[in-house]
Amino acid sequence: MSDDHGLVEMEPTPGEKLAAIFKQREVRVATAWGVLVTAIFFVIGGWIYPSWMPTAMSTDMKSIERLIVIFTWISAPVCGIVLGFSIYTFLHRHKGDTPPADGPGFRTNSLVVGLWVIVSSALCLVAVVYGLIEMNSASAATAEHKKNAMVVEVTGSQWAWSFNYPEQGVQSHELMLPINRPVEFKIISVDVNHSFWPVQLGVKVDANRLQTTVIDTTPNKLGDIDVKCAELCGLYHAYMETSGKVMSADDFNTWVTAHQGGHTA
Amino acid sequence: MTTLDHHASVRPVPNPSKSLITKLNMGTGLVVGVIFALATYYGLGGDSAGVFENYNRTLLATMFMWSIGFMVGIGAFIGPFRWLVGKDLTDEEQLYLAGDGQGIKRYFKYCTDHKVVGIQYMVGVMALLGVGGTMAMMIRTNLIQPGSKFVGPTIYNSLVGLHGITMIIAMIIVVTGPFGNFIMPIMIGAADMAFPRLNALSWWVLFTAIPVLCSAWFLGGIPTGWTAYAPLSIQAGPGMNAFIATIIIFAVSTAVAGANITATVVAMRAKGMKWNRVPIFVVGATMSVALAIPAFPTFMVSMIMTGLDRSYATTFFDANLGGSGWLYAHLFWIMGHPEVYVILIPGVAVLMEIAPVFVRKPLFSYNAAIAGFAGITGLSILVWAHHMYMSGWMPMLNGPFMVTTEMISVPTGLIFLVILGTLWRGRPWMKLPMLGVYAFLWNFLIGGITGLYLSDVPADNYLHGSMYVTAHFHYTLMGAALTGALAGLAYWFPKMTGRMLNERAGYISFWLVQIGFQVLFLGMFIAGAEGQPRRVADYSVNFATSDLISSIGAYMIGLGMIVLLWAVIHSWRHGKIAPMNPWGSKTLEWTVPYPVPLVNFDTPPVVTSDPYGYGKAGN
Amino acid sequence: MSGKESTMTASKRALSAVVGVLLMVAVVGVVGFTLHSASADPHKKLYATKTAETIVVDGKTYPKATITMGVYADTAQAKEMGYNTINKKDYVQYGPSSHIVLPAHTYVTMTIHGYDGGEKLNAPFFGKVVGTVGGTMNVDGVDVTEIPADQVQHTFTIHSLPSSNRDPLFVNIPLQHVDEGDNGFLPTKDPGTNYKGHTMTFSFITGGAGEYVWNCEYPCGDGTYAKFGAAMSAYGYMSGKVSVA
Ligand code: HEM
Ligand SMILES: [Cu+2]
Ligand SMILES: [Cu+2]
Ligand SMILES: [Cu+2]
Repeated sequence: MSDDHGLVEMEPTPGEKLAAIFKQREVRVATAWGVLVTAIFFVIGGWIYPSWMPTAMSTDMKSIERLIVIFTWISAPVCGIVLGFSIYTFLHRHKGDTPPADGPGFRTNSLVVGLWVIVSSALCLVAVVYGLIEMNSASAATAEHKKNAMVVEVTGSQWAWSFNYPEQGVQSHELMLPINRPVEFKIISVDVNHSFWPVQLGVKVDANRLQTTVIDTTPNKLGDIDVKCAELCGLYHAYMETSGKVMSADDFNTWVTAHQGGHTA
Repeated sequence: MTTLDHHASVRPVPNPSKSLITKLNMGTGLVVGVIFALATYYGLGGDSAGVFENYNRTLLATMFMWSIGFMVGIGAFIGPFRWLVGKDLTDEEQLYLAGDGQGIKRYFKYCTDHKVVGIQYMVGVMALLGVGGTMAMMIRTNLIQPGSKFVGPTIYNSLVGLHGITMIIAMIIVVTGPFGNFIMPIMIGAADMAFPRLNALSWWVLFTAIPVLCSAWFLGGIPTGWTAYAPLSIQAGPGMNAFIATIIIFAVSTAVAGANITATVVAMRAKGMKWNRVPIFVVGATMSVALAIPAFPTFMVSMIMTGLDRSYATTFFDANLGGSGWLYAHLFWIMGHPEVYVILIPGVAVLMEIAPVFVRKPLFSYNAAIAGFAGITGLSILVWAHHMYMSGWMPMLNGPFMVTTEMISVPTGLIFLVILGTLWRGRPWMKLPMLGVYAFLWNFLIGGITGLYLSDVPADNYLHGSMYVTAHFHYTLMGAALTGALAGLAYWFPKMTGRMLNERAGYISFWLVQIGFQVLFLGMFIAGAEGQPRRVADYSVNFATSDLISSIGAYMIGLGMIVLLWAVIHSWRHGKIAPMNPWGSKTLEWTVPYPVPLVNFDTPPVVTSDPYGYGKAGN
Repeated sequence: MSGKESTMTASKRALSAVVGVLLMVAVVGVVGFTLHSASADPHKKLYATKTAETIVVDGKTYPKATITMGVYADTAQAKEMGYNTINKKDYVQYGPSSHIVLPAHTYVTMTIHGYDGGEKLNAPFFGKVVGTVGGTMNVDGVDVTEIPADQVQHTFTIHSLPSSNRDPLFVNIPLQHVDEGDNGFLPTKDPGTNYKGHTMTFSFITGGAGEYVWNCEYPCGDGTYAKFGAAMSAYGYMSGKVSVA
C-alpha cells in the first residue's frame, strides 16, 4: 500500500511488491496484532461452542460441533486481518477538536485488492467444499440407515408432539429411542407449521400439513433428549416441548412392552 | 385536447391564498381519514358479520379507506385531479406546496420540499425506533427469568412480531428516508427530487401505515412474528389484518420513494458529476432502493394473497385445499433476503462516506466499493431459500443455495477492504461518526461470521430457529446498519438542524449502546448455542443465565438510546450553532448554508472531481 | 467541537438531561405496567382442596387433594351452572378459572364436567388417557383408557418444559363428548350444549413445586384454520396455567 510505488522505474513482480509491503513497519505491527487476534480466536474457537452446546448424542450432532469449530478456525484469520488493522489504526487515532492533517493520498492498490479477492474467495471455497462434503456424507449415511431403520412417526399439533412407533405398535408423548439403532423420523403436522427439533440429536425439519418430511439419525449415547418446536406456531409455541430418552435396547424393549396395547401411563 | 383549452379559458387563475391547498394539512387529513374509516366500518356493519359477512373484509376495507381518506384530506390528490381536469397547479401554488417561508407549519403539510420530507422521515423513524425499542424492552423483561411472569403468551407473541415489523420498517427507511431525502439531492447538486409531489406522497402514505400497525394491539395482536408465515397467519385473529394492511400500504410508499430516488440520481446530478464522481453514499442508497423496487411488491403480493385467504376463502396457502405454506415462504423470502441488504447497504454507504472525511484520506478503491455493493445486490436475489433449508422443501436444492449464499462473503469482504484501506495509514479523527465506523467493523465482522455458520446446511440443522439466528441478525441489522445510520445522524445533524449534536451525551450513548449490545447478543448467542428456540415466551431453566445476561444488556441499550434521544431533542433546540462545514468535508451538501435555501444552490454547482481528494499525494 | 453549548448553562443542561432521561424511562415503565396489567389472569386462581385422606401408590404414601372444573359451550350456560366467569367473546371455555393451583407431592383427584358436543381430534393420540394413576379415567362411573378420536369434546392436557429443575408432569384427559340421544344429553336453549353432560374423574401425582401449562388439544376454535384459532388461540379459554406449590 505504498503511495509512491508508481515512482519505481522498473515494474517489480507482484512477489516483490508484496515483499515490499511487508517490509513496512506499520504493516508488520498491524500484522502482529492480527496474529494475536487470530491466535485468540483460534484457541477460543476450539472449545467455546462445544462448551455451550448440549452433549452430542448422535454422529450428526458431533459433526455439527466439529463443523462449527472448523468454521471458527477458518474465520480466525479473517478476524485477525480485520481487527488487527482496525486496532492498529485505532491506536493511531487523532484526538482534539480540529481535523488531523491529511493522510497519504493513495486511492487503491490493485495488488492488495486482487490478493484480498483471491484470499476471501479461497476461504469461501473451503467453507463451501467442507459443507458440501458434510452434506454428502450425511446423505450417504441416510442411504445406509434406510436398511435397518426404526421408523418413528412424529405428529406436530398445536402445541404438543406425539410419536407413533408403527413397528412396535406403541404411541407416546415422549421420544424413546434405543441406542445405536438408526431411526427414521417421518414428520407431519395436523395444523400449522412446526419444526421438529430433538436438540441433542442434531437434526431438525419442519412439520408441514399433508407433506411428510423425513430425517434420520443414529443415537449413540445414552441420556435425555429435549424435543422442541423451532417454528413459531401460535399461542403456546414456547410450551411445545417434550422430553425423550436414548436407552439401551433392553430398556427400550421393556418400555415398549409396558406401553403396548394402549397403556401409556 | 380542445376541452382542456376550453376549461382553461373559462376559469380564472386561482389565487393561492384562497386555493384549497392552503387549507389542508395533517389535521384535515386525520379528520377525513377518520371519517372515511368510521363510515366504512359502520357502513359495513361494524363488528357484527355485516355486509361482507366476514369481519376480516370489514377491517381491511376500513384500514385502506383510512389511508385513502387521509391522503384525500391532506390534499394529495389535488394535483393529479387538477391536472386531469386540465387545470394544473399554478406556479404560485407549486411554490406554496414547497412550503417556503411557512416555518414549522410546513412539516404538517403535504410539502414537496425534499428537506421538509427528510425531516418528516427523521422524526417518523425516531418514533418508530422508539416504539420498537420499547417493545424490545418488554420482550427482554419477560425473558429476564423463566416463567413468562411479565406478560402472557398472547402479548408476548404480539410483542415479538410487532417489535420485528416495526424495526424492519424503521430500518428500511432509517437512512434513505432522512438522509436520502434531505442530504442526497444536495449531495448531487440538485435543486430538489425528480418528483417532489411523489416525495410528499411517499412520506404521508407511510405515515398512514403507522396508526394501522398500532391498531394491531387493539385487535388482539398478531401471533405470527414479523414473517407472518401461513397457515398460522390464516388462523390468526383480527389483528392480522392490521399487519396485512400495513405491509400493503408500506409497499406503496417504498415503491414511490424508490422510483423517485432512482430517478433523481439518474437524471438530476450536477453538471460534471459523472458516474465515477458520485459520492459512495449516493451509490449505496440508489442500489438499495433499486433492490427494493422488485423486492417489496413480492411482499405486497404475499400479503394480498394472505388477505384473500383470510377474507375470501381462497386457498393459496391452505394445504388442506390444495395450497401450500411453502409458497408463502418463497414469496416472503424472495422479498426477505434482498430486504436485509436493502437495510444494510445504505448504512454501510454512510460509513464509507464518513471514513474519508475523518481520516482525511481518499476512499480506498471506489471501484471495489461499487463492486461490493453490486455483488451483494446481484447475489442477494439468488439466496432466499437458505431460510428454508429445514422446511422440508427440496432438500436437494440446499447445496446450490448454500453455494450462492456463501459466495456473498466475497463482495462482503470488499466492504471491509474498502473501509480498512481507507483507515490504513491515516489518523482517524475520533468524532462520533468515526466511532460508528469502528463499531461497525466489529459488529459486522461478528454478524458476518455467524452468518457463515447459518449458511452452512449441516450447522443450520442445529442453529435454525434458535436464538442464535436472532443474535446473528441483530448483529447485522442493528450492529451494522443501525450503527451506520446513527453515525449518519451525528454526521449530518449540523446540516439538518443547524446545530451540533451534544458530544458528551453522544459519547455516553454510544458506549452504553455498543457495550450493552455486545452483552445482550453475546447472551443470546449462548442461549441459541445451548438450544433455546427463538420467539418463545418461556424457556427451560437451563437457559436462565444467558437470558439474564441478555436482558441486562438490553436495559443498557435502552438507557443509551434514551440518552441519545435526549441529546437529539436538546441539541436541536439549544445546541451549539454549527458552522457551514464542521467536518471539513468535500461533498456538496457542506457548501450550502443553514437553513438550506429552497432550491439548495444559488448557482448550480459544477463538479470537477469526486469528493475524496484528500491526502498529500492525492490527485 | 467541545466548548460551550450556545443557549444554556452547563448546570441547566445537566438538569435537563437528568429530567429528560428519567421522563423517558418513566414512559417505558408505564407502557410496561399497562401491558403487565393487561395480561394479568382475569380469573381468580382455582385452588385444589386438601383432604385428610392419604393414599398409597406403589408403596408411597401421598396426601390427597381434589379439584373440580367444567367446560361450557357458552357464557349463558356457564352462568346457569353457577360459574360467572369473564368471557366477553362468548367462547367455549374451561371454568371457573384457567389458572389452577395444586399442592406438591400430592395425589390429586380431578373432576371435569363436560357439557359440549364434539367431532374429531386433529391428532388422534390425544384420545388416550395419559399420566393418570393406573392409566385410566372414570367416565360417569366407568373406567376407560381412551376415547375414540371422533367422540371427544375437549381435552385437558398438562405439560411442561424439558431440562428443567422441575419434575416432569404430563397428563392427557380426553373428555367424552355429549351426543344427542346418549344418556348424558339434556338440552338447553342452545342446541350445542346440554345440562347433564359427562363427568370425568381421574387422579395423578404431582412432583415438586413448579410452573406448568395446560391446554386443550381438541380443535374447538370454529371457523378458523384447523379450528385452532379463536377460543383455542386466545389465552385463558382453552389454555391456562398449572402451578404446583
Ligand atoms: C434495544 C434493542 C433491541 C433489543 C433488546 C431487541 C431484542 C429482540 C428480541 C428479544 C427479539 C425476539 C427474539 C426471538 O425470540 O426471536 C427480537 C426480535 C427481532 N428484532 Fe430486535 N431487538 C432490538 C433492536 C432491533 C433492531 C434495531 C432491529 C432492526 C431491524 C430489530 C429487529 C428484530 C427483528 C426483525 C426480530 C424478529 C421478530 C420475529 O421473530 O418475528 N431489533 N429483538
Ligand atoms: Cu412451535
Ligand atoms: Cu436471507
Ligand atoms: Cu377445546
